Order: sequence, then C-alpha cells, then structure tokens
Amino acid sequence: MRRAEIALIPSFQRSTSRVAIRRTTSYEQDLAAVLYETLCEFALPVKDKTVLLKPNFVGLDPLGVMNTHPGVIAAARESFLRLGAAQVLIGDGPAMDRDTEAIIESVRLREFTGPLGRTFVDLNVDDVKRVALSTRASRLKELYLPKTVLGVDFLVSMPKLKTHHWAGVTLSLKNMFGIVPGSCYGWPKNVLHWAGIDRSILDINAAARPDFAIVDGILGMEGNGPIQGTPKPCGILVLGDDPVAVDATCCRAMGLRPEKVKYLAAAGTLLGHLNTMKIQQLGETVASVRTPFTVLDAFQSLREPDDGVWN
Amino acid sequence: MTPAERLNPDSARPSHDFSFIANFCLPFLRNAQNADGGWGFQPESQSRVEPSCWAISALQSIGNTPHSGEIVERGRRFLRAAQIADGSWAASAEATTGCWVTSLACLVLASDPQAKQPVAAGLSWLCDDWPRDSSPFRRLLGRFSSERKISAQNDTYRGWGWTPRTSSWVEPTSFALLALARTPEEALPKLGARRRELGRRMLYDRMCPGGGWNCGNPMVYGVAGEPLIVPTVWALLALRTDPGRREFAASLDWLERNIENARGAGSLALARMCLEVCGRKWPATATALADLYSRNEFLHSIPVAAWICLAMSKQEAWLVNCTREIC
Repeated sequence: MRRAEIALIPSFQRSTSRVAIRRTTSYEQDLAAVLYETLCEFALPVKDKTVLLKPNFVGLDPLGVMNTHPGVIAAARESFLRLGAAQVLIGDGPAMDRDTEAIIESVRLREFTGPLGRTFVDLNVDDVKRVALSTRASRLKELYLPKTVLGVDFLVSMPKLKTHHWAGVTLSLKNMFGIVPGSCYGWPKNVLHWAGIDRSILDINAAARPDFAIVDGILGMEGNGPIQGTPKPCGILVLGDDPVAVDATCCRAMGLRPEKVKYLAAAGTLLGHLNTMKIQQLGETVASVRTPFTVLDAFQSLREPDDGVWN
Repeated sequence: MTPAERLNPDSARPSHDFSFIANFCLPFLRNAQNADGGWGFQPESQSRVEPSCWAISALQSIGNTPHSGEIVERGRRFLRAAQIADGSWAASAEATTGCWVTSLACLVLASDPQAKQPVAAGLSWLCDDWPRDSSPFRRLLGRFSSERKISAQNDTYRGWGWTPRTSSWVEPTSFALLALARTPEEALPKLGARRRELGRRMLYDRMCPGGGWNCGNPMVYGVAGEPLIVPTVWALLALRTDPGRREFAASLDWLERNIENARGAGSLALARMCLEVCGRKWPATATALADLYSRNEFLHSIPVAAWICLAMSKQEAWLVNCTREIC
C-alpha cells in the first residue's frame, strides 16, 4: 500500500531528485534493455511489490502519436518484473471514449504484452474509494479514486511527450487525470475542467503522487495537442523519481519554460523539484536533446527565448 | 415467449453468437449478482447503479431460467434502495450526490410497477438539473470571452451533463432523452417536454460534420472532431423518432460504414443493437462477438456482457414506451 502523506513535502525539505534522459531514436530499439539499465541506476524499492503502470491512452490513434507507445509500456513491464516486482499491472481510464478495450486494441497493446484480461485495469470502472483532498487547490473537497491506484505499492506515470491546448503541456502530472474514474465523473471528466484543470492536477497528484515517471518522448506531439496536434519526433525517453522534476526536464527539452506552466510552477513548491539545482541529471543533457515544440498562440509565453539553452 | 424466441434468429448472425450468449453471457451476468442484489462493473466488485441497470435490462430481455424473474427483482430492489433522498442516483454507494446514472435508473425502473414514485422523483430531479455552462449569464459572458471561437456550439440548446451543474454532453443527454421517452406524456415532469426539445436540439447541434457524434466536441480550434461509435449509438437511439431527418440518416450511415472499425466488443455490440433497432441489416461479414472474447475476456465487463445480450435480443421493450413506435 502506498503512503499518501509522502506526496506533500516542501521543496526545501525534499532531497535532490534524479532524472535520466536516454536517447532512443525509434520504437524498434531494444527498449527493455534501455529501460532496465536505466531503472537499475535508481535502485527502486519494487522487489516483491505490486507495480501499476499508468500510460496515457487518449483515443483511437492510427498514427501512433497520441498514446503512450505499447512498446515502451511492455518494456517497462518487463523491466519491473526483472527488478523483482511480484506483479506489474497496466491501468488507465481514457477520458473521451468509454470503450477502453477498443482503445487498447487500437494501440496494439496486446501484441506487445500478451492477453490483457488479467493484466489491464480499466480505471474508469474500477471499484472506488472516497479520498478527501487535503490540498484543496481546486474547489473539489473530495474525489472518488480507483482502489487499484490507491492499493498498489508503486505507481508509475507513463505519459507521452505532448503539448496540451488547455494546460500547455501534458506530461506525468497531467497524465494522472486518467486515474479519475469516468464511471463517476463521465467521459470526459468534466468536473475537473469546472474545478480548474491546473488546480485539479495538483489535487489529484497530491492524493496519488506517482512514485516514478517514464515519459515516451520518442515520438511526441506539438501544436494543438493532446489529440489534434502534429507528430514531433524527439528520440528520447525521460525517467525519474520525481514527477515534477521529470516534467520540468521534459519542458526544457521541448524548449518551454516549466515555471511558466501554471500547474508545474505550483507543483514545484510541494510535490517535487522544478529547480535545475535540485535535479540530478543522468544520461543525456537537456541541451543535447532540446527540440523546440510549437505551441498554440495562447501558450507562446511558455517558450524559451531563442538563445535560452539549458544544460 | 421462450428464451430462444427472445433471441432474434432472423438476422444474418453467426449462430455461435447465440450459444455464446446462452453459455457465457447469461451465466456470467447471473453469477455476478452481488448479495445486495446489485452488480459491479466486474464480478466481485462493488455494486453500482450503472452496471446493475445494464444487467437488469439484459436479463429482462433474454433471461432464460426460472430464476431470472427473481434475479431481476433483486436487482430492482437494489436500484430502488440506492436512490438518494433528492430523487437522484449516485455513481457509487459512498457518493451522496446524484449524477447521470439517474437517467439509466429511471429507464430501467420504468417497467417496475413498484417504482412509479422513485421514477417520477428521478425524472423530476433530471428536469431540474440544468447545465451551468449554458445559463443565460454564462451565455452573456461567453459573448465577450476570448475562448468563444474555440468551439462554435449553440449554447441556447441545453442538454445534460455527467455531473450536476456542469456542461452538456452527448451521452448523458441521450440517456436523459431515453428515460423521458419511456414516460407517458401525461406523467412527464413540468419541464419535461421543454427539456426534451432542448436536449434534442443540443444533440443535433453537437453532431460531427458528416454525421456521428463524439462526446460533444464536433469542432475544436476549427478542427473537426472524429465521431465515436458509443456516443453515436446513444444519440441515434435517443433521436430515433426522427428517422427521416437528414442528420439522423447521415449518422446512421456513418455508424454502418464504421462497423468494421469497431475494435472493442462493447462498441460492436452497441452498434449492432442500434442498427437493428433503427431497421438496418447487420452485415453478415461483421466480426462475431463471440470471437472477440478470447482477446481480453472483455476485460470482465458486466456492461459489455449485458450489451451483447441486448444486441441479440428481439425485444426493444427496455428502450421504448408502449405508446411509442420505434423507427
């Protein structure tokens, strides 16, 4: 069982976070080898534990640009099993279409992982438990969250590297919208929009902060994401033990300023590190993989100046 | 009528779908009933209103054992007991606020002679629940909003949201219209006729260019949204009294064209149910539902098993009031 109280720690009390960038040019590479080797560096406490991988499944995606690639998910699953996890589940609650089986079939997940009847959890229809929201960043006082998410030992957010037409970017924190069950809140989970997307992201992550994040940035999406954007090849996987630090690093790799993303700026105070001084960088440098993303007009302020280079 | 007669053997369907229902779906549904009379989304999960509604509908349509009546009655008792004091139904037992499942509960309990008062209270709650996004004040604000060009929808047409006082969406609006359609005119709440008309207009307004529906965003930032099978099915069933309308026919055509693209058993079952209710032939070449089971065991979904039963049922009584004709 995960301990919810460890989610909220003031940044000045939080130890340095670690984020690894691995250059991975295609989904044809041996992703399991890349992930396993990188995960070993983090010495994660997963032996004999139940791990839940939370990918980002948005909808039917013939171009393979909208959803977390099944090859990355399968590789992560294999890696966590090699690390000694007793069980590795995959779960998501897609926001726009209630036929979750149609979505996981369209992304070809079964081809990579085998039959999903006992492995995949449709978080939209899982049993739920009332969770009082201690952060109250939004006007929501409580959320009903899936018992599977609340009950696993280790939660891994596995988003796609994408821009988002309401939130600016959608990465490991925004990906947690997918744990909010459609059976309670609908398709889409409109109550979160009314409560404020940025603030809801904070509340959800405070209630169920991912223990780890693996971002599929091999092929991302820019422009009018998360559904109608343009494919953006980036050739990276970004992994880390702090979802805020991972998202901040991804933003920098996208040529965006994380402190200008509303929910990330707020998350940097209690949920993790935004500051590069508090992020230990493993693998590639941000500067070496930086690939500026186009954003909608409403988010031009997120962009780094042309000469802004992070290392 | 015998169980075999309740299945529809006239359509072009692989015969093993019938045996699949008899040998798998119906036993699966019957065995998954919880001690409290309700069903969860999967076997051995918490009883919830939505899966209970689908299971009851399916068992009513093609129940095939002497115990079916008893199972259905226990299910109805669960639904009646789950109603909240304000007349609505909540999505989970712990929740204290009603939501969209109120429509489903009213739809299913409409045929329950012991539920006249609960259904009347539920419909009254539905008709009093207006979406907040389209209130006159919000519409006025919207004229000056920088976001007014993001989507070009007509907010004077007001449907229903998934949760109270939020925004209109296609599926909850369709469910509310289906529930209201089962109610005789004279028994409709005061606002019933007006809400029904506004809801119908809202659905047509949110139709995707070229037919079909998604959750309710036909255009965002000038880009056309893609229709999806599930919301299209519910919208078509809710609007099925308009078979001659151009938009209705275009959407039914879209559904028919996209059967081959249905990748989930739930979508396929719902598409079959909708096409047959609306008088279209189910193509003989379509994938047999039974063949899809081995892929992911339907993710153990009670609603999917129930939809398969409903798709194969000859009876559409769960959808229509005896005073109404189906298209």
